[in-house]
Amino acid sequence: MNSEIQNKPVKFKRLLILAVVLLALLAVNLAIPKKKIPPYVGVRTLKDLAELATVEYSVTKIVSYKDVAWYGDRKILFAAAATVKAGIDLNELNDQDIKLDNDSAVSISLPAPKILLFNMKPENMREIFNESGILRSDFSNTEKDGLLSQGEKDIRAKVGKMDILQRAARNARILIESWLKKTGFTAVHIVFKGKGGRP
Amino acid sequence: MKKILAVLQIILLLAILFMLYSPLAKIGLLPSLGSIFRNPQPRIDETPVIIQQVKNIAQMFTQTFYDEYVYDSGIIRTPLLKLNKRLIFIAKGEVISGFDLSELSEKSIIRRDKSIVVKLPPARILEVVINPSGFDTFIEEGEITFEESKKFHEDARRIFDRNAREKGILRNSSEQGKQMLEKFFRLLGFESVDIIIAEAG
Repeated sequence: MNSEIQNKPVKFKRLLILAVVLLALLAVNLAIPKKKIPPYVGVRTLKDLAELATVEYSVTKIVSYKDVAWYGDRKILFAAAATVKAGIDLNELNDQDIKLDNDSAVSISLPAPKILLFNMKPENMREIFNESGILRSDFSNTEKDGLLSQGEKDIRAKVGKMDILQRAARNARILIESWLKKTGFTAVHIVFKGKGGRP
Repeated sequence: MKKILAVLQIILLLAILFMLYSPLAKIGLLPSLGSIFRNPQPRIDETPVIIQQVKNIAQMFTQTFYDEYVYDSGIIRTPLLKLNKRLIFIAKGEVISGFDLSELSEKSIIRRDKSIVVKLPPARILEVVINPSGFDTFIEEGEITFEESKKFHEDARRIFDRNAREKGILRNSSEQGKQMLEKFFRLLGFESVDIIIAEAG
């Protein structure tokens, strides 16, 4: 009985110390601002290009995502569209790639075609469906951007597997042949260095 | 009384633990509570990519302008409840300029022996590219709808276009186009190459 009476102030003292520690930590918490990565703004740069785009693909994709949880679901659906241009990089063309037989015949070895441009314009994107359960937060702008970025990645990968590079090569051949014939060459022979290109 | 004190002690200890964790999460040393409970990597569903159109083009890209821009929508007040909302994002992308060679006609190329004259249309902005991966949300306050965010993204594209023009993209583009075609025709054996670029209308 005696020891219990003696223990009480000790317990209160302990509680008081804990409360003081808690208050001190609360003060520390309030003093520390939430970490935010400062926006990095890079240097604006102009760069020379020498690319000839010969084909343009317009593609579409439905970007859908279902976030299923026991406390409610969230579902979102976008219609996204992209423009992809492919062609050849004339910077890769050097002296050895052009051979003149005489004034009217020429052989050109063109660089392998590649995808030159990928553009997903915001005006071509639509939010078709967006629904969140009562206990769930709505999709934030960051989340929507993240989902559309995944859609972008998927379109890039799938377009790379289409016949865009073959078409780009065929069109580049037709285009350069016609220009050279306009400049007076009667025999034009075009070949491509290597195959493929970057996806 | 004894039980109440014990419970209070446990609550205080838990609160202390939370207060120890919270500043570490704030400075990024520990993951935030939200990120622990959030679905770590949302995966979009597998859907096909459909080709809508294939177009034969003849565009010569001669200049690119890389830009990064911090876009601030400013504080927007919702009409009914007068709530504040704001979006700040970083946009990264490029502006591409050059020539549309499909505008070349029979009369655009004139050859006389070892000399050639090529008449090009004026250089113009061909594409402004800021893809979804090029947008990085920095601050998002209030509920920003998709249409609103789309409007801000389109605005950022217009700013990129304007910045590129101010940096002289079209002048550089014309210069590079001239140099590039001169080099190409000299490789084809022409001794005199004259590239004439039409004035922008």
